[in-house]
Amino acid sequence: MKKIGIVYSFNTNKTSKIAKRIADAVEGTAKVEMINVEEITAEQFQKFDNLICGTATWFDGELPNHWDEFVPDIEDMDLKGKNIAIFGLGDQKGYPENFLDGMGILAEILEAQGARIVGFTSNEGYNYESSRAEKGDQFCGLGIDYESQGSKNKERVNAWVKKLKMEFK
Amino acid sequence: MTKDKKYSIKSTGKETLEKWFRLMTVGRLLDDRAPNYLKQAIGWSYHAPYAGHDGIQLAIGQLFNRETDHLFPYYRDMLTAISSGLSPEEVIYNGISKDIDVAGGGRHMSNHFAKPEWNIHNVSSSTGNHTLHAVGVARAMKKYKTPGIAISSQGESSVSEGYVYEAINGASNEKLPVLFVFQDNGYGISVPKKDQTARRKVADNFTGFKNLRIIHCNGKDVFDSMNTLEEARRHIEENEEPVIVQANCVRIHSHSNSDAHDLYRDDFELNYVKDYDPLAKYRRLLIRYKRFSDEELIAIEEEMKQEVKKAHKAGMAAPDPSPDSIHDFVIPEPYIPEKYTDGTHNQKGDAKKFIVGLNETLKAEFRHNPDTYIWGQDVAYKEKGGIFNVTKGMQQEFGIERVFNAPIAEDFIMGTANGMSRFNDKIRIVIEGAEFADYFWPAMEAFVETTHEYWRTKGQFSPNITIRLASGGYIGGGLYHSQSIEGSITTFPGVRVVYPSFADDAAGLMRTCMRSRGLNFYMEPKALYNSPKAATPIPDDFEVPFGKARIRREGEDLTIVTYGNTTHMCLEAAGKISEEDGATVEVLDLRSLIPLDMDAVLTSVKKTGKILVVHEDKVFSGFGGEIAAQITDQAFEYLDGPVKRVGSTFTPVGFNRILEGAILPNTEKILTAARDLLEY
Repeated sequence: MKKIGIVYSFNTNKTSKIAKRIADAVEGTAKVEMINVEEITAEQFQKFDNLICGTATWFDGELPNHWDEFVPDIEDMDLKGKNIAIFGLGDQKGYPENFLDGMGILAEILEAQGARIVGFTSNEGYNYESSRAEKGDQFCGLGIDYESQGSKNKERVNAWVKKLKMEFK
Repeated sequence: MTKDKKYSIKSTGKETLEKWFRLMTVGRLLDDRAPNYLKQAIGWSYHAPYAGHDGIQLAIGQLFNRETDHLFPYYRDMLTAISSGLSPEEVIYNGISKDIDVAGGGRHMSNHFAKPEWNIHNVSSSTGNHTLHAVGVARAMKKYKTPGIAISSQGESSVSEGYVYEAINGASNEKLPVLFVFQDNGYGISVPKKDQTARRKVADNFTGFKNLRIIHCNGKDVFDSMNTLEEARRHIEENEEPVIVQANCVRIHSHSNSDAHDLYRDDFELNYVKDYDPLAKYRRLLIRYKRFSDEELIAIEEEMKQEVKKAHKAGMAAPDPSPDSIHDFVIPEPYIPEKYTDGTHNQKGDAKKFIVGLNETLKAEFRHNPDTYIWGQDVAYKEKGGIFNVTKGMQQEFGIERVFNAPIAEDFIMGTANGMSRFNDKIRIVIEGAEFADYFWPAMEAFVETTHEYWRTKGQFSPNITIRLASGGYIGGGLYHSQSIEGSITTFPGVRVVYPSFADDAAGLMRTCMRSRGLNFYMEPKALYNSPKAATPIPDDFEVPFGKARIRREGEDLTIVTYGNTTHMCLEAAGKISEEDGATVEVLDLRSLIPLDMDAVLTSVKKTGKILVVHEDKVFSGFGGEIAAQITDQAFEYLDGPVKRVGSTFTPVGFNRILEGAILPNTEKILTAARDLLEY
C-alpha cells in the first residue's frame, strides 16, 4: 500500500489522540506521515494518493478554522485518483443537530475536487438528530464521540482501519 | 467554501481586501477602546462589543447602499456602522454622547449607531423591534416601486420577541424586500440560546413560512458572509421576497460592560471563542495566500491606530448637548388652520353624524393627498369598512394599495406604520390601532417607541401617523370593549392626544391630524358614532387646531371640564341645573388632551371659581388628576371650593348593564357632584 498522509491540527487534543491511534493501527501495512493542517501546503497535500483527514465540528456545524483556512487551496486542486478517508469528532448529546457536520462538509469539499471518499461506516449505535456526514444509513467516515461514547473509540478505530486497508490502494 | 462565489481570498482584488482590513482594524480598535471611556468616566456607559461578529458586520455594511437601501442596525453593530460609512469620529461622538452625534446629538444610548441622513436608522434599545420598521419601510419601497432593500440586523436571542415573528410573517405575506440578519453568538446576555427556543439555529423555526428563503452562513468569516449577503440580495431582488440570513458568530467578550461573562462561561469556552477571532483569521488568510505581507499589514494597523487617536481627540473636543435643549424636538410643529383658527364655525344646515364626519374627512384627505394610507384589522373587505364602518367605501375609491387590512397583530400595525413613514416625510398614515382601544395594549411597545423617534433623532425623523381607536363604553361591551385608555397614553411625551365629542370636531381634528407632521392619537367615542346628540353641521373644509378647547355651554357659577362621551352628559346636567337650580354651568370640551388648553381651563376657573373635571376613564390615575393638579397649582386663589372629579370607579367595566351603569359616569353622578360643588 502506498504511503498514507494523516492530516489534522497538531494543536488539538482529542483529534490528535485519534490520529495517533489510527497511525498505530496502520503501522505495518503502510508508511504514514503526520501533517499539521495549520501549516500544510497544497503540494504536501497532493503528494499522497491515500489520505486520512481528521476534523472536529465547531460551533453549530462548522469546519474548524485550521481546515477552513486551507479550503481555498483545496478548491484549486484536482483530486481525481485520490482516496481520502475522514474521521470526525462530534458530540451527539450536546449538539445532536450538527453531529459530525465538520466531517460531512470536508467530504463535500474534497469530493467536489474529484476525490474518492472512502471509509464509510454505519451510523448504527449513534443517537443524533441530523448530520451533514450522514449518507443514507452511513457516515462518510469514522464518527468519534469522546463526550458520550469514548469507550468505543478503540474498537471503532480498529474496525475502521481494517476497512481502510481494503479500500486504500 | 468560496468556490464559484464572487469573493474569495484568492480572487478578490487587493484593493478590496485592503479596504476590508482597514475597516475591520479600525473597528476593532474602537471596539477595544470603548470600555476605556467608561473607566475614565468620560462616557460610553453602554458598550456591547462586536468582536466575533466581524465577518457578517463587515458584509452588512458593504452590502448596504445608502442611495437605495434602508439599514436598521442593532446595538452591537459597530462594525456594520463603520463598514456602512460612519467615520471613527462619528462612532466616538455617539459613544460619548456628543451634541454632534449624527444619530441624535447624544440623546440616545451609546452604541446605538445611526445616520438617518443616509438611511442608517436610529433604532430602539427594545431589541429586535426594528424588524417591524424594516418591514414598514419595505412596504413603502414596494408601493413606490423604488429599488433597494431594507436590512434589519439583530442578535439571535431577540428573535424570541413576538414582534419579530409578526414582522417576518408580514414580510412573507406581503412579499417585501427585507433582509433579516440574525447574528448568532449563542447568548442573550447570559442566557444560552437553548433557553430561547428548541432549535439551535433559530432561523430554522421559520422554515414553514411561504415566500421566504433562509440562508445560513459563517458570520465569523468575511468571504462566506460577503457571498451569502450578495446571494441574499440577489434572491430578494429576483424573487421579490424576504430572506433570513443566520450568521454564526462568537461573542469574544461579555455582553456589555455591565456583564461579567466569566460568571457563566468557563476557560475552555472563552479560549474556544478566542481561537475563532474573525479578524485574526482574516489576517492569517491575507498572509497565508500571500495577498499581503506581515509588514504591509503592520503598517496599515499603525495607520489605523493614528486615525483612532485623531478621532479620540476630536471626540474629546466636541461640545456636549446643552441642558436647555431638552424641550427641543419633542414633537414637530403641527399644521395650523388658517380659516378656522379657534376651531369653531357657523355652519348651518343638516346635522351629520359623528361617523359620517370621520368618513367624509378621511375620504377628503385621501383625495387631497395621494401619499395617504390607512390600514388596520377589518378596515377594508368588500362592503365592510372597519368594525364600525368608519372607513366604508374607502378601498373602493382609493384602491387596495392605499386602504388595506392588516393581520390581527397590533404591534405589527403600529410598528410598520413607524417603518413606512421613514420612507419620506410626505407620507401620512392613518391606522386603526386595534379593533377597539381595549386591544391596543399589544401595540404599546411599538407605540412608546414611536413617541421617542422625533426627540431621539433630534428632529431627523418624524413619524407622521394618526392612530385611530374606537374608545370607551356605554355599549354593554364589558371589560374588553369599554376601555378609555387616555390615562395611560397621555403619560408619553411625543404624541398628541385628541378625544372629540361632536361630529364637527371629529372632522376638524381628523383633518388637522392628517395634515400635521408627528404622531397623533385619535380616540373616537364609539357610543357617539351614530348618536343624534353628537351630530352637527360640518363645513366641508373644517379644521380644528390642536390644543383649543371649545366652550359648549357658557356659565358663571361652575365650570365642568370634560371630553369624549361625557361631554353630552355634562351638557345635560348643566341644562338641568339651569332649569332646576337657577345656576349656570360652563361646559368646556377639551377636544385635545395633548396639547392641553390650560389657558381655556384657567380662564373659565377664574370666572366661575368652581371646577368639576369629568371623564369616562377611571378617576384614580385618570387624566383629570393632571388637570386638577394644574388648576390647584396655577389658580388656587381663584377657587371657591375643591376641584372635584367624576369618572369611572377603580374597577374594570362589567358586562352586565347593571354593573356597567354602576361603574361608568352618567348624568346623575355628574349632577350630584356639580350640586355638591355649587353648595360651597
